[in-house]
Amino acid sequence: MTVTTGASVDGEPRPEGSLIGARVHRVQDDRLLRGNGRYVDDLSDTGTLHAAVVRSGTASGEVTGFDASAALALDGVHLVLGPAELASQLRPVPHPWLIPGQQVTEVPLADTTIRYVGQPLAVVVATSRAVAEDAAELVEIEVKERDAVVGIAAARAADAPLVYPELGTNKVGAIHFGDPAEELEAVFATAALVVDHEFEVPRVGHNSLEPRGIVAEYIPATDRLEIVSSTQVPHLIRQEVAHALGMRVDRVRVVAPDVGGAFGQKTSLFPDEAMVCAAARALGRRVKWIEDRSESMVAAYQGRGQRTRGRLALDADGRFLALHLDIHGDLGAFPSTGTGGAGPFQVSGLMIEGPYRFERAASTITAWYTNAVPTGAFRGYGMQESCFVRERLVDMAARRLGVDPVELRRKNMLGPADLPFVTRTQMPYDNGDYPAALNGAARYGKERARPSEGRIRRGIGYASMTEITGYAPTALQEMFGIHWSTYDSTRIRVNEDGTVTVHSGITGIGQGIETSLAQIAAERLGVPMEWISVDLGDTAVSPYSNMASQASRGLPVGGGALWRAADRLRLRMRGLAASYLKADPESITFEDGTFRAPDGSSVSWREIAHRGWMGWGRDPEGPIALEELEEFDPPSITYGYATHGAQVAVDLDTGKVTVEDYWLSHDAGVVVNPLIAEGQMVGGVAMGIGAALLEQVAYSPYGQPITATYLDYLLPLSEDVPDVAQEHLETPSELIPGGFKGLGESGIIPPPAAIANAVAAAVPEIADRLTALPMSPSAVWTLLDEAGLTR
Amino acid sequence: MKPPPFDYYDPTSVDDVLALLAEHTDGASLLAGGQSLLPLLNMRLARPEVLVDLNRVEGLDTITVTADAVELGATVRLASLERDPRIADSLPVLVEAISRVAHPQIRARTTIGGTLCHADPAAEVPALAVGLGAQLHLRSRTGARVVPAEEFFETIFTTVRQPDELLVRADFPRRPGMVTAYDEISRRHGDFPFAGLFLGVSVVDGVVAEARAAAAGVASRPVRLTGLEGALLGRRLADAVADAAEAASAEIDPPSDHHGSAAFRRGLLRTLVRRLCARLDASTQESR
Amino acid sequence: MTQTVPNTTTRTITATVNGEQVTAEVAVRTLLSDFLRHTCELTGTHVGCEQGVCGACTVLVDGEAVRSCLMLAVQVDGRTVETVESLAEEGELSTFQAAMKSHHGLQCGFCTPGILMSVAAERRGDPVERVEGEVLGGHICRCTGYAGIRAAIRETWSKGAQA
Repeated sequence: MTVTTGASVDGEPRPEGSLIGARVHRVQDDRLLRGNGRYVDDLSDTGTLHAAVVRSGTASGEVTGFDASAALALDGVHLVLGPAELASQLRPVPHPWLIPGQQVTEVPLADTTIRYVGQPLAVVVATSRAVAEDAAELVEIEVKERDAVVGIAAARAADAPLVYPELGTNKVGAIHFGDPAEELEAVFATAALVVDHEFEVPRVGHNSLEPRGIVAEYIPATDRLEIVSSTQVPHLIRQEVAHALGMRVDRVRVVAPDVGGAFGQKTSLFPDEAMVCAAARALGRRVKWIEDRSESMVAAYQGRGQRTRGRLALDADGRFLALHLDIHGDLGAFPSTGTGGAGPFQVSGLMIEGPYRFERAASTITAWYTNAVPTGAFRGYGMQESCFVRERLVDMAARRLGVDPVELRRKNMLGPADLPFVTRTQMPYDNGDYPAALNGAARYGKERARPSEGRIRRGIGYASMTEITGYAPTALQEMFGIHWSTYDSTRIRVNEDGTVTVHSGITGIGQGIETSLAQIAAERLGVPMEWISVDLGDTAVSPYSNMASQASRGLPVGGGALWRAADRLRLRMRGLAASYLKADPESITFEDGTFRAPDGSSVSWREIAHRGWMGWGRDPEGPIALEELEEFDPPSITYGYATHGAQVAVDLDTGKVTVEDYWLSHDAGVVVNPLIAEGQMVGGVAMGIGAALLEQVAYSPYGQPITATYLDYLLPLSEDVPDVAQEHLETPSELIPGGFKGLGESGIIPPPAAIANAVAAAVPEIADRLTALPMSPSAVWTLLDEAGLTR
Repeated sequence: MKPPPFDYYDPTSVDDVLALLAEHTDGASLLAGGQSLLPLLNMRLARPEVLVDLNRVEGLDTITVTADAVELGATVRLASLERDPRIADSLPVLVEAISRVAHPQIRARTTIGGTLCHADPAAEVPALAVGLGAQLHLRSRTGARVVPAEEFFETIFTTVRQPDELLVRADFPRRPGMVTAYDEISRRHGDFPFAGLFLGVSVVDGVVAEARAAAAGVASRPVRLTGLEGALLGRRLADAVADAAEAASAEIDPPSDHHGSAAFRRGLLRTLVRRLCARLDASTQESR
Repeated sequence: MTQTVPNTTTRTITATVNGEQVTAEVAVRTLLSDFLRHTCELTGTHVGCEQGVCGACTVLVDGEAVRSCLMLAVQVDGRTVETVESLAEEGELSTFQAAMKSHHGLQCGFCTPGILMSVAAERRGDPVERVEGEVLGGHICRCTGYAGIRAAIRETWSKGAQA
């Protein structure tokens, strides 16, 4: 399978040497390889104090006493802020996306009510982290404990302990998308075949290699707060911090330095980070807090956590009649703010249909409070979960009908002529060729089949998906009442010395967007890539963006804005040169840093830049500064799509599932940098393999985290992830300037389904019982044992 | 997290170590490889008043190979055993077990003494020590004693070593006349095993004359599997496999935890018995 | 709980770090990783877990790849330490560093220095299977899915070059 980089935006083949589609090495790699990354903990510690967070060791209760006197007496301790002080200094942050029925609409950043193990209760500031931790241990907190409720089943039970007793229920709220329930039930009642199963996708942890971290400096003389934080969303942090501390937003600056991975976890202000800011302000000092891994595994927001009853109705010929997913989501102790609280459950529900046509389809989503750390945005944002349910149902249906699962998909898949298409849940699919991805994957898969041998069974499975990218039109946000701004802006500037700077609301989190944006800028402006600097992540210079790099929007929305802005600036530069050379702009050529007129006269780019900033030679009606800002509000969501295939080996003696081969056929529109695109796919697939086989956050019935170290929470290692063969179809998006779709989340969405389907193919005896993740050796062995297959 | 405060000593002689242990007893922790102790310190689960660093103690890292045994000083690193041709020659099953411990970057520091005294029930070297019948040499300021491996391990993370004692040497018998092997089943290479098995048999006239078996990960300490051994004695290996697997499965009481049920661990042990019997059967056939 | 041990126990150590002698007074409980990052100001070594599992903190002590989060700074008194900053000779990326770049073996870059050091410790002649397998097996990367790193190792070894 080769990577195809065919189409361009307007159907013309790309010009030779075009940077769009070029495998350019990343601009930041030299620096990172030399150890010259600048992550938040790398900032100099001169003048810096260090914070440690005091956290609850119990999952549910009330703080009834707090005594920091022993802590304050320790040499080197500068400050302790307890629950009462923090509550008086930190205002609750309003929640941007409510699920109907949700009564907790703002999130207290400091609370004397304890709702999860790891909840931050106090912050200690000292001369070093070690001393701060010594002091934290001396803080005495009295807690009146209450019974905890853990997991969705427990939260739903009639006599469940209540996370919010005043609400009388653990239900956060509920919503229904798609066709009315009665219409669905009518179809289910009479269909020739109904496949009906319960599925479980557990909580997982993001586990970026760099945990969270923040350095907050408060300067009393100017009433300013300067923050450096490992975050995806500096502008959102700025807003939330200002709100929490009761400051004007223009007194707060947030800078995201190099960020060591995020995957959706670093998309909001966390309570502990707010406490560090409060401490910095109280002291008038710079305070650093670096989350350690133990804290991250317990107190950083998690992802997934869904239990779903999925039903698929078909007619005797295998046509999809109806699909219903009854989704229950584990929200945790409170709705996570910037990451969306119940948002992922809702997106799960909106995207249930995938690339297929259903006569009727609907999802019902209910979110539940539990005594655990909140869940929120995690790469894939709910799409992995509903893809798992749907693609397993499709495979189960194929087995019952005795038909090839690829054939069943093909029969029901929307074709290119069917698009654009509005799903039953009202998602407007744009252009594409979903069967091409299916056929590409199936063709490749035909060569990949390997036989079972002895006690090793082998099988191949597929999963198809559509995904939201380029999130989202502001009108959609208004319609749903989601208070995140979703347009994005990119500014490109030719500096007085001729160098070119790009600022965008998008942020770098390791995905390489700086390189892709530089490629676009260079291509559209018509200058060498070396002239371009893409500077991201500083609220003082970056255009406003709430969402920045998440929801697969960096390239389409930020890059789409740049596509237009850079072209406009190119025309202006050419116009200035034409004016200077007294020639027709259309006749001016630009090569080797020089503008040339037909009569042989020439002027350098540098000279035009200088003159431009003088205001000379410009169109008198036009702008002066040599910069163009483009604000881009995408007209609609642009949908990526793919089919993935997996070939697995299942050891009947140990229950171990090995992914021996993995391939995918994917369309994310125009690919700017295939090196980066392929890397995003493999990285996403690796996380998907983790979800399928390895990862699970677990709690005791008392709410104590069980999987709090890397001995118990298993992340994919190299031996878990085979090389991934890839095909990129590149149907340009008609909604995005440049034709890009996003692809940062694509790799993670299908793997659990494809792998489960492969295991089912390998061991049909247990096929229908593969409904819960992860398919760990123990879980699989137990199914094998119950089927009489072990020895 | 950062370690809690402690006082630190790095003595250069065994006598100095023993003096420190006598003075501080259970307020002292011994630092050898640090691959188990440092995580505990970093998570503040261990809070010694005093850390006694063994890494500069002279004479504690000797390797002596005799006709009967491989004698290893307590601070011998696992990585050096992996690379040492004398060990590959004289006790290959030790190399086999060691190569399954964590990753090369961990084995670079992990010591024989450390992994024995840390007594993780899923650890490879303790199981090998029990399987081979290693003799462990303990010294204190007041005396010395030799404890057979099978008596050394009490329960999870607990041995008979007293707070004022230092393990100075472990002698692993070479067991000439036996073919031996170690295997384990873990999630990935380097993860702690769900179950590990050492098996050694001597075959005379086609039947098992002597058998030694010990398992890791199936109890609160490494255990000798006498039922498995008994099922093999006096029989041809190939004929005894099924009974041996059943016997091993029946004589253990493995834990159920987040990683797997007791039944799962029993199943894995049965698989290991089958695998190792097949391997040893093949090597006894070859050596004829 | 009262403190029985003063938290100011310190030692003066001298270590050779990236070829240069460094002498410093350190609290005895200071981890080697923190000593390198905050005393030597060599921030290329990263801290990902302080449990010895993720591998991001891997450095060379006396030529061997070890977890700097599982050593105390006092333990390198009189020893040599090499960190990622020592790899690029005369400013040129090493063969493995260059291969990592061309094969997209890094994304966020946080785990990368540890991997570079583990690979740097492997002697010429160590089979590529061991490096791609066991040695890389001691590292967690959450971003790349490892394929690019394996390709970079294979390319480096095919050139017969040390890392």
